[in-house]
Amino acid sequence: MAQTSTSRDLRFLDPAVIARLGTMELKARTVVEGFLAGLHRSPFKGFSVEFAEYRQYLPGDDLSTLDWKVYARSDRHYVKKFEEETNLECHLLVDVSASMAYRGGAPMSKLEYGSVLAGSLAFLMNRQRDASGLIAFDDRIAFRMPASARPGHLHALLLALEHLKPGERSDVGRPLHQLAEALVKRSLVVLISDLLDDPEPAIRGLRHLKFRGSDVVVFQVLDPHELTFPFRGPSRFRDVESADEVTADPASVRAAYLRELAGLTLRYDRELRGAGIDYVQLDTSQPLDFALLSYLSARSRRK
Amino acid sequence: MNFLFPAFLLGGLAIAVPIVLHFLRRDVAPPVPFTAVRLLRKSPVARSKRRRLRDLLLLAARVVALLLLAAAFARPYVAGAARGSTLRIVAIDRSYSMNAPGRFAHALDLAGRAIDEAAVGERVAVLAFDDHVETVAAPGSATAARTALAAIAAGFGATRYSEVFTKAAEIAAGDEARLILVSDLQRSGWDGEDRSVLPAGISLDVRDAGRAPSNLSVVSVSVTPDRVIAAVRNSGPQPRSGKIRVEHDGRIAQTSTYTVGPDSAVDVAIPYRPPSTGTMTVSIDDPEGLSADNSRFVVLDAGPSNSVLLVTSGANPSGYYIARALAAIGGTDVGRIDVRSSTAAALADDNLTKYSAVVLLSTRALDRRGRESIAGFVRAGGGLLIAGSPEVEAAVVSAIFNWSSSMTGTIEMPAAVALSPTDPRHPVFRPFASLSANLGQVRFARAWRITADGWEIAARFTDGNPALVERREGTGRVVLFASDLDRQWNDFPLHPAFVPFVIEAVRYLSAPHDRGRDYIVGTAPAGADLRPGAYRVGPDNRLIAVNVDPREGVTKEMGQQEFAQRVERVDTTSGSSGDVRSIHLEAGQSYWRYGLLLMLLALVAESFVGRA
Repeated sequence: MAQTSTSRDLRFLDPAVIARLGTMELKARTVVEGFLAGLHRSPFKGFSVEFAEYRQYLPGDDLSTLDWKVYARSDRHYVKKFEEETNLECHLLVDVSASMAYRGGAPMSKLEYGSVLAGSLAFLMNRQRDASGLIAFDDRIAFRMPASARPGHLHALLLALEHLKPGERSDVGRPLHQLAEALVKRSLVVLISDLLDDPEPAIRGLRHLKFRGSDVVVFQVLDPHELTFPFRGPSRFRDVESADEVTADPASVRAAYLRELAGLTLRYDRELRGAGIDYVQLDTSQPLDFALLSYLSARSRRK
Repeated sequence: MNFLFPAFLLGGLAIAVPIVLHFLRRDVAPPVPFTAVRLLRKSPVARSKRRRLRDLLLLAARVVALLLLAAAFARPYVAGAARGSTLRIVAIDRSYSMNAPGRFAHALDLAGRAIDEAAVGERVAVLAFDDHVETVAAPGSATAARTALAAIAAGFGATRYSEVFTKAAEIAAGDEARLILVSDLQRSGWDGEDRSVLPAGISLDVRDAGRAPSNLSVVSVSVTPDRVIAAVRNSGPQPRSGKIRVEHDGRIAQTSTYTVGPDSAVDVAIPYRPPSTGTMTVSIDDPEGLSADNSRFVVLDAGPSNSVLLVTSGANPSGYYIARALAAIGGTDVGRIDVRSSTAAALADDNLTKYSAVVLLSTRALDRRGRESIAGFVRAGGGLLIAGSPEVEAAVVSAIFNWSSSMTGTIEMPAAVALSPTDPRHPVFRPFASLSANLGQVRFARAWRITADGWEIAARFTDGNPALVERREGTGRVVLFASDLDRQWNDFPLHPAFVPFVIEAVRYLSAPHDRGRDYIVGTAPAGADLRPGAYRVGPDNRLIAVNVDPREGVTKEMGQQEFAQRVERVDTTSGSSGDVRSIHLEAGQSYWRYGLLLMLLALVAESFVGRA
């Protein structure tokens, strides 16, 4: 069983990917948070294990961190936060809606691709002793793993990514707002989603996160078929989430579809960048390392 | 619009395939799971109309292509298209019987009138015929036809009508036409013609050029050492008499008199010792009749003879019947056959090159040298007739030419087995014509069993086994008769058919060596004119005599009605003749080419629409 888990983890830890990220690791940390010593700067005073604050308990928090004394006094659940966990807290938000299970012309579904991406980032964080957490959501939060940099956390996170199952309809805005309310310190929030829903709630949620002081990076993961619409012959296109159908001749609707997609991309790009949010569109047919390098390069330019 | 092969139109049913596919695919679009359907829904709706139009165009192009392909294979033609301008064919007889005083001029006048009767736009063709048909004016204007007609002169050929009808049908090419035949309606023009066919689409208009005059003709001449015998025929109703002359090298050598009764012939013996070389002419005077047959040319040079070697067993009756049959030809006529006999044992010492044919009746004591001699003789162009007799061993015969098991032993025949020519046109059987049934009276008791591998079968026994087979060896021929010719396995030599059978078989095998001296006008080798006379021809400058066909001199006429009854009319609208007409029409129009071209255009259009 242990061997199986290890082999599965390796899927997320492609040595080639790690090697490439290793050359960009310090730059990434500086750009994202700047907490760590060395190439990136922490906004706080060094490392410590001193008590920093209380935070209201959220489902998924480690019960060992519950402050039972406060609970006895106030009848409310609070967890204790310590300085060492605030170097960089990264929350990986992975969309597990049904549309993320789509796989057209790529070797991996969008969910698999996004999971590998999240795992790679988590590994990167863990290597720098940054805390990484995972939130999987569709129209609600389906799974949550608090950010932590403790030994064994990465393995648990990777295991959780491995077992992510596609859910139902997506609603990016709602979990983003929930997370924004729950976060009490500046964090790095990485959203991995296809963002094919109504963009307005998603943009509002992301702005909310940004407003709460978190740095936000958005990976829009799309399948090549979604990017190029290569279908031929009249077809009934059935929505994988809503089961809505549109009968169309791809040849005649392709141009209009691509225009719509380009408009959506343009809107995300314009509005998110305007809000200080990084937005990267990924093609699941492209190598994952290429996607990460694209992101890190973007962060590098921002620095 | 008609079709030569209408069954191919059934191929047009293939249009059901694209039509069915069109309707099947029209509403059934396969479901495709997709994520961004929300974006698709915002696409313009007008696309469906365009797609529908494109699909209809594609369907139309495919249906049209299939229909055109089926139509092209069905070979369409327009039956009435070639009838727009009618055709008039004027055929004028130019045989030597038309040379009677004033007759050919009258015939030209009749033909000219026939041309003048042509309607405006009607095409006119002119044929001149005797025993050959010449198209002197292809279908065209009446003016061109008149010009061509003026150049025609009577010749020295004999009348043959059937070829005129064949040529007329060929020119009409299945179209309707009118054939105006101008002739003296010589009855002899039908000699040897079993059947003359004229398509019903060609109307026949016979115009009589005039009654033939009484005619005297020298129909044959034979020469003996001390006299010349000439046959004189009188085709008139009155007895005739007169002088007959023998001319040698242009000088009158002897004269005699003759008297011949009405419509009869007489042999006139002229006491004259002809020289052994040169040419001789036997002539009579007949100012009222035809002039071309008043003289007959004879070559006096000793002609080549065909020499045949009979390879016998040396005992009676081996070769007896064949020798007697060949002797029936006569020793003085051109084409005589000298017969020599030899045993198989002596064959090796004999020089076979001096023979034109060898008849193998026995292989007893035929050694290797003898076999090689026969094989070399045949491969050098000689003829070999093998009789499957008890004196001939099949294994020895096979060894001569290294045949592999062509003869597989002998078979006992039931009493009723007879001979039946498989190919009546074979030179051995051709002279029998309708008399070939006589061969059926011969009874065969035993014969060789011959496998047909490598052989052409000319005749079979009535039980189906090959009876007379032929094959080529080198440049020579081998004819194998499956039963014997010495009356051991059959009674063939006792039947009248035996003599012509043997003679024709030997002549056929000797044909490459046969160099005749007496020819009919039109059949003489190159170098001779198309008129009677003596000519030197060939690389050896041999002397030949060319005479007119004596049948033409028998001036028996027939009425126009009787003439027309001899012509079998075939309805061209049905049956094989109709097919021929349709084939001619279709071949002339070739609409299928346009069909295929349009089909290609339809496919190109389909390709463009499909890519749009």
